[in-house]
Amino acid sequence: MTEDDKDKAQRRMAVDASKSTRRPDDEIVEPAAQPDASMSPALQAHIGRQVRAVFDSVAQEPVPEHLLRLLKDLDDSGES
Amino acid sequence: MPETVSPGLKDELVAQIGNLRAFAVSLCGDRERADDLVQETLYKAWNNLGSFQEGTNLKAWLFTILRNTYFSERRKKKREVEDVDGAYAAKLSSSPEQHGHMDMRDFQGALSELPDDQREALVLVGAAGFSYEEAAEISNCAVGTIKSRVNRARRRIAERLNLNDGEDSPADLVGAASIAASRGA
Repeated sequence: MTEDDKDKAQRRMAVDASKSTRRPDDEIVEPAAQPDASMSPALQAHIGRQVRAVFDSVAQEPVPEHLLRLLKDLDDSGES
Repeated sequence: MPETVSPGLKDELVAQIGNLRAFAVSLCGDRERADDLVQETLYKAWNNLGSFQEGTNLKAWLFTILRNTYFSERRKKKREVEDVDGAYAAKLSSSPEQHGHMDMRDFQGALSELPDDQREALVLVGAAGFSYEEAAEISNCAVGTIKSRVNRARRRIAERLNLNDGEDSPADLVGAASIAASRGA
């Protein structure tokens, strides 16, 4: 690699970096745990765990039979 | 109605029932009503599968159907029932299935007292695993609106449960850890 190539590569990297920081807000895909400046990350994480615990306690229950039957009935009626 | 429901798509539907039930309970606070909502959602979804593009986000599509069904019914019922929010809070706090950890009960109480839109945003983003963008689409509002609802929901819960900010409060974090542990068991 010549000095010139290195120089070009460095400049390209700099351009890429400035691109990513200049992206408008609405283009950035936010992570699920968006930091809220007015609340500590620890407290946000704590609340997050609790919400998930409440949600998962229902989501992980066995699916009631009548809901499974409904889909089966719909499926059967479509085939006939 | 649809003759072309692939077994794969049907399996995906079945796989989302648990999440739909959890979302429904978080919206209405009533398990029986939640299962009715899920049933209606599955029925509508099945009959509109033609308008669903396979390979796109089935989970978000189903959640959208469910919350639209819930809120349109709620608007109708609000004229008949005086205090829907009060009924919600009472049902949740006395739910016999939810014995066990006090922290979780307390938290459920705080969650149930949130305004509908804040509770929905917090559950979609904080528990159901949606991005802010997806949650905004599901709730038919701007991304910024979802963000501020989530932040307000968190602050309100922290206030309600006297969760201290600034210094870490070890007691609360221990409580969360034991919930996590009991979930695994």
